[in-house]
Amino acid sequence: MASVIDKDGPAAGAKTLKRRRKFEMRRSVIVVDRIADWTISVGGIFVIVAVFGIMAFLAEVVVPLFTGGRVVAAPPAVSKPLAGRTLIDKVDEYNTLSVALSDSGQVTAFHIGTGAAIEAPAFDLGGQRVTAFAQTLDGANLVFGFADGSVRFGRLTVVSSVLPPGGRPADLRRLDGRDATDGKAIYSTITDGQIRRLSVATELEPPRKIADDGAAIVAIDYRLGGTVERPTRTFVTVDAERRTRLNRTETRVNMLTRQATETVRSATLPPLAAGFKVEAVLITDTGDQIYIADRAGTLLRFDTRNFDQPTLAETIDVVPGAVEITAIGFLIGEQSLVIGTSEGAVDIYFRLQTPGAPTTDGFRMIRAKSLERQPAAITAIAPSQRGKMFATADRDGGIWLRHATSEQTLLRLAPASDRGRYQALVLAPREDGVLAIGENGKVHAWQIAVPHPETTFASIFGKVWYEGYPAPAFTWQSSSSTDSFEPKLSLVPLIFGTIKAAFYSLLFAVPIALLGAIYTSEFLHHRVRAVIKPVMEMMASLPSVVLGFIAALILAPFVETWIAAVLLLFIVLPLTLLAAAHAWQTLPERAALALDGVPKFAFMFVVLGIGVWLTTLLAAPFERLVFAGDLRAWANGNIGTGTAFTTLLLLPLAYVAVAYGGATAAGTRLDALFRHADRLKAGGMAFGRWLVYLVLALVLAWIVASLLTAIGHDPRGGVVDTYVQRNTLVVGFAMGFAVIPLIYTIAEDSLNSVPEHLRAASLACGATPWQTAVWVILPTAASGVFAAIMIGMGRAVGETMIVVMAAGNTPVLEWNVFSGLRALSANIAVELPEAVRDSTLYRMLFLAALTLFVMTFVINTLAEVVRLRFRKRAAQL
Amino acid sequence: MPTSITIATPSARPAVAARTRPTSLGARGEPFLWALGGGLALGLLMIVGFLFLVFWNGIVTFWPKPIETVTLRSGAIVAGEPTRSNNYRPGPEVVAQLPEAEKAALARRDGYAERTLYRTGNYDIYNEDFRWVSDFEVAKTERPGGFYFLERLEWGPCVGTIKAVEAGGRKLEGAAIKDEAITALHRTARARWAEIRAIERGRIGDVNHTLEKERLALRRVALEAGAGSEAHRAASARFEARAVELRKAHETLAAEAAVLKAEDAKDRITLAEVGGREKTLALSAVVRLYPANDLDLGDRIAIYLGRWLEFLTDEPREANTEGGVWPAIFGTFAMTLLLVIAVAPFGILTALYLREYAKQGRLVAIVRISVNNLAGVPSIVYGVFGLGFFAYILGGSIDQLFYPERLPSPTFGTGGLLWASLTLALLTVPVVIVATEEALAAVPRSMREGSLACGASKWQTIRNIVLPRAMPGIMTGLILAMARGAGEVAPLMLVGVVKLAPELPIDGYFPFIHLERSFMHLGFHIFDVGFQSRNSEAGKPMVFVTTMLLIGLIALMNLWAIVVRNRLKRKFVGSSF
Repeated sequence: MASVIDKDGPAAGAKTLKRRRKFEMRRSVIVVDRIADWTISVGGIFVIVAVFGIMAFLAEVVVPLFTGGRVVAAPPAVSKPLAGRTLIDKVDEYNTLSVALSDSGQVTAFHIGTGAAIEAPAFDLGGQRVTAFAQTLDGANLVFGFADGSVRFGRLTVVSSVLPPGGRPADLRRLDGRDATDGKAIYSTITDGQIRRLSVATELEPPRKIADDGAAIVAIDYRLGGTVERPTRTFVTVDAERRTRLNRTETRVNMLTRQATETVRSATLPPLAAGFKVEAVLITDTGDQIYIADRAGTLLRFDTRNFDQPTLAETIDVVPGAVEITAIGFLIGEQSLVIGTSEGAVDIYFRLQTPGAPTTDGFRMIRAKSLERQPAAITAIAPSQRGKMFATADRDGGIWLRHATSEQTLLRLAPASDRGRYQALVLAPREDGVLAIGENGKVHAWQIAVPHPETTFASIFGKVWYEGYPAPAFTWQSSSSTDSFEPKLSLVPLIFGTIKAAFYSLLFAVPIALLGAIYTSEFLHHRVRAVIKPVMEMMASLPSVVLGFIAALILAPFVETWIAAVLLLFIVLPLTLLAAAHAWQTLPERAALALDGVPKFAFMFVVLGIGVWLTTLLAAPFERLVFAGDLRAWANGNIGTGTAFTTLLLLPLAYVAVAYGGATAAGTRLDALFRHADRLKAGGMAFGRWLVYLVLALVLAWIVASLLTAIGHDPRGGVVDTYVQRNTLVVGFAMGFAVIPLIYTIAEDSLNSVPEHLRAASLACGATPWQTAVWVILPTAASGVFAAIMIGMGRAVGETMIVVMAAGNTPVLEWNVFSGLRALSANIAVELPEAVRDSTLYRMLFLAALTLFVMTFVINTLAEVVRLRFRKRAAQL
Repeated sequence: MPTSITIATPSARPAVAARTRPTSLGARGEPFLWALGGGLALGLLMIVGFLFLVFWNGIVTFWPKPIETVTLRSGAIVAGEPTRSNNYRPGPEVVAQLPEAEKAALARRDGYAERTLYRTGNYDIYNEDFRWVSDFEVAKTERPGGFYFLERLEWGPCVGTIKAVEAGGRKLEGAAIKDEAITALHRTARARWAEIRAIERGRIGDVNHTLEKERLALRRVALEAGAGSEAHRAASARFEARAVELRKAHETLAAEAAVLKAEDAKDRITLAEVGGREKTLALSAVVRLYPANDLDLGDRIAIYLGRWLEFLTDEPREANTEGGVWPAIFGTFAMTLLLVIAVAPFGILTALYLREYAKQGRLVAIVRISVNNLAGVPSIVYGVFGLGFFAYILGGSIDQLFYPERLPSPTFGTGGLLWASLTLALLTVPVVIVATEEALAAVPRSMREGSLACGASKWQTIRNIVLPRAMPGIMTGLILAMARGAGEVAPLMLVGVVKLAPELPIDGYFPFIHLERSFMHLGFHIFDVGFQSRNSEAGKPMVFVTTMLLIGLIALMNLWAIVVRNRLKRKFVGSSF
């Protein structure tokens, strides 16, 4: 009432009054309204952004897989003149300290970041110059060969120790933010204030005579082996007279007296041809193969598995014409050999067992990969100590960082000035640095970051020729116990597994779900429907872990025992149902009408029961007839033929062909005959026709199957093969439980939402319910039904627990329904909990998740768009 | 229908024939109808069979079964609970050693033979819990009295006769062994055992917890003020004094427990398995014992209910294959509750924004399709996101900001209850959005317009008119989200579920609710026991019960959703304008 009084207030405010009335609202209401406005908008947009952020986040984690490497820092070059040639350079585990060794035995150590010199003990080689030199892969154990035919072993190590906080000596010279030195060692401050001390230590053994006549050693290689109690040293030397000697020393330490006894064995390899210019000699870790490369391009492979009788196993020309081998080296694991040529080519070879190989041991050297060419002759190869990465340097001073598995060039480095050859090239142990010493004694260092060298788009989705594999392959094998293992990260087997599981489960689920949906919507009493529909809906929320458990622990052993019966069920159940339907047709009209509806539906259950009972009776004869009495042996391909099984596969197709043929040949005449007979007779004739068609179809299918067998086709090796307990059949069956309710519910909804007037019109025109369902309802609802199948497919693709538990998790690439599979989702669930954060495997699994996300997103979007179109159409009708 | 006859008469065809054969058999499509109906029937049979399998096995698991002694042809005797039997095909080497009559019987059955799985227990003696006995091996089967079934803390169950019980300073042997006497002694021993446990877990646990807290506080001072600083030295001295005090308390409690333990060690029970080998164990290590063949119905029901009680309220034993699932039930509930708390505001806000605030256009349509699609994105993808983003990035940052003293061991920087709930909230938010949107759309436009016309603000309209009317739909959406969340396992495996959590996420230590802790979950429990335990056969009955529990829980939530929807619908039916 106050407002009424207000209205009659001072006339002066007549205009403002109008406005005031319109906006009169308590201030608190306006504030609350604004807050609500703001909160809802921000909250809503936040959730939408967050949800889309998932994809962005997954992509962000994945991207580094496809990027190469980058240079983190390149300290300025420093000059470290050494007396004589540099033999090797060594970088410690933490990329802090570098040690160079010259052929006069001089050792120079320095801090990589600043070039500050560190004291290091030299090798006292008694004034001799080194003519040949070798080291083990970790660079700690060395061997020198001399012009007088003797060799000396030595050790050159960077000693690392951790001191407690405050354990740092006083008056150190500061090098950079982390490191300081006293001239003898480098002190680095690491986590929690602890100090790491790095210093250099050397050891040298007395010389041993190898070549009796004093011929100079020109090439040497050296490996350590054996056990801690019985260490062995295997080394191979080539002298100036082109004689190759293989030596193995074994040291035994007596446990009581602590006295070491050394036994030396020695063998001579077949002599090298005159004019053979030895570029390098290499021996494998186990000492069973020796490779000698001729500069002119010939590689000799000696088989030394029998130590006392080494044989020349293979001679191959690895480069064409006048091209020379200019660098050669092993990658970690010592299976792959990298060969660099004077033309700048870098090839990777490995030994492969090939039947009929023209060698003495059945193995052949195969050139598996040719990597990108460098512009000038390759002068040095530096392998990584933890992976298949390596660096190659060319004559013009270019250093390329490459990876053997992914075949990519990760980084191309070159010093800013003074390009030219290098005396030594080394890749830091943690793959985080490259160091090269030029001819003029200048040291160039780069700190690099190459987090994921083994993956490229091609290596993840294409075929890769892995070490020791007979051919390029798609393989997923992410981890192993040894360092030298080559991770095999191809997503293809996993994507295949996902598709295989989805395909077989849909093959099983779609017919049952769609048939059920059509029957529920069109032929079932609405009261029965009101019970069945919610039950099915509830089943859609059944936890998949439960289904997986039942599938793996109950179903899999059951199916394994009764496999023939289970397969027979797929034939007997439809046939029993059809036979029952034909029998039903012979019922008198009145009885058929009276029993229509619920009794008929109940009778179908009975028929299914009869079908199962028949199956148990027929299982054993069926197994004898089709699978030669033992399905597992048959599936292995040991016994029987594929004819009977192919016949069964072809049967539905043959039946359609026979029925179509029958209809064209005598359809009208038969129809006329049926029309004029009474119900019993017509039904009987239809039954007879069905049986005749079935027999004819069987005969036809058998003839075709025999022909197929005759031309060598066998279903084994394709859709059926070796049987394992946790197989795709079981997965498909269990996944059916998850997918059937989903497809059923959505399909039934769309069938049911077809407007009632269409149904009524069709029936009024005289169509039977069956004709109405097939020719009116189904076409109208087709897009909705399609959407239902797509959504079911989306669920099958992403299902995790069932495949984890029931699929056996073997990443195989075969359609065999009796074998397991490994799906993307299962792979993530199994491997991600163990993956180290930000490692290559971790990012690969994120890529798997992204792939899965994209796959389901595409499928679901398709379904959603189709469904929206259907809704619009249904609304228009 | 006389009119139709009169119309039909002039035509060439005889009307009568046309009436009795109105449609051909082909038009009726009877075989096709049967195929359709058969498909539905098969689907229903599968589902009903599945539920029956789960519920039957779940219900009978705890029923005490009799113990049978089976004398084999070879003379050996096997005693145990018959668990199940099936058909199998004996290998040729087994068949070759059979007598002729048995061979013929086998051949008549296509080489299949019947066998029974006996739960023999006594893993510590036999090295197996279960044993298959083929029917052709059996000479005689009996159910003798005097055989006891013992559930133990370790080594699984034990089947045998009681030779002697030694407790409270006296020894029962032979005829003196009475059921009531044993029960009473056993009860005392168990009570003492519970007391020891209370000291060790509760009071000593308290002391350890305080000590750990003091240590972390000291480390925090060291990190903030710097090691060796004045503040750190003072804190260090305080800590040392406190630590001495706590260690003393620890020793006192340990001594107290040791006294009880010494007493406990005197109560012993000696059993003889069917072959006569004897085994003595502490009476307190026996969880339950009963003479399996001498029970009446009342006893059986009591044991059955007792086992259920243990299952629902106790902690798991023996790698989760025995004992209870209380921590898993608790974990499932806690996670689902947190999930709802997280998902409700966000889901409803988004739906309100999409339906009431955003301009309806192409963009909103696309967003809507995408949200619908997200409901179909595999749950494991959300798990991957949860691990990478919530646990590693968010959690890692929280650790560095608030818990630097615990690093490098992560607090929030690894999977835990909070991250699991948030991951599942993200997974279920599309369900809530879709349901809420549908509910909002169902509120008639006229009501909104009426409210606005009466002068209510937009928010007032939404709060007082739209939301109450949409409530049934929103509640249904939330409950369905809970049901979906409770059944998901795959993402949880990545973000914080563990096979055995030592502590519940809620306890008596400040801040009482520990969202960072990993937890147990019924679904993961099924996976773990079924797949990763020493003996999946021993775990199988437990898995069935857990499965039944989980399915029951989810079905209950679904039913609840239906009931809520109906009740709220009814409430608003009468109150329209």
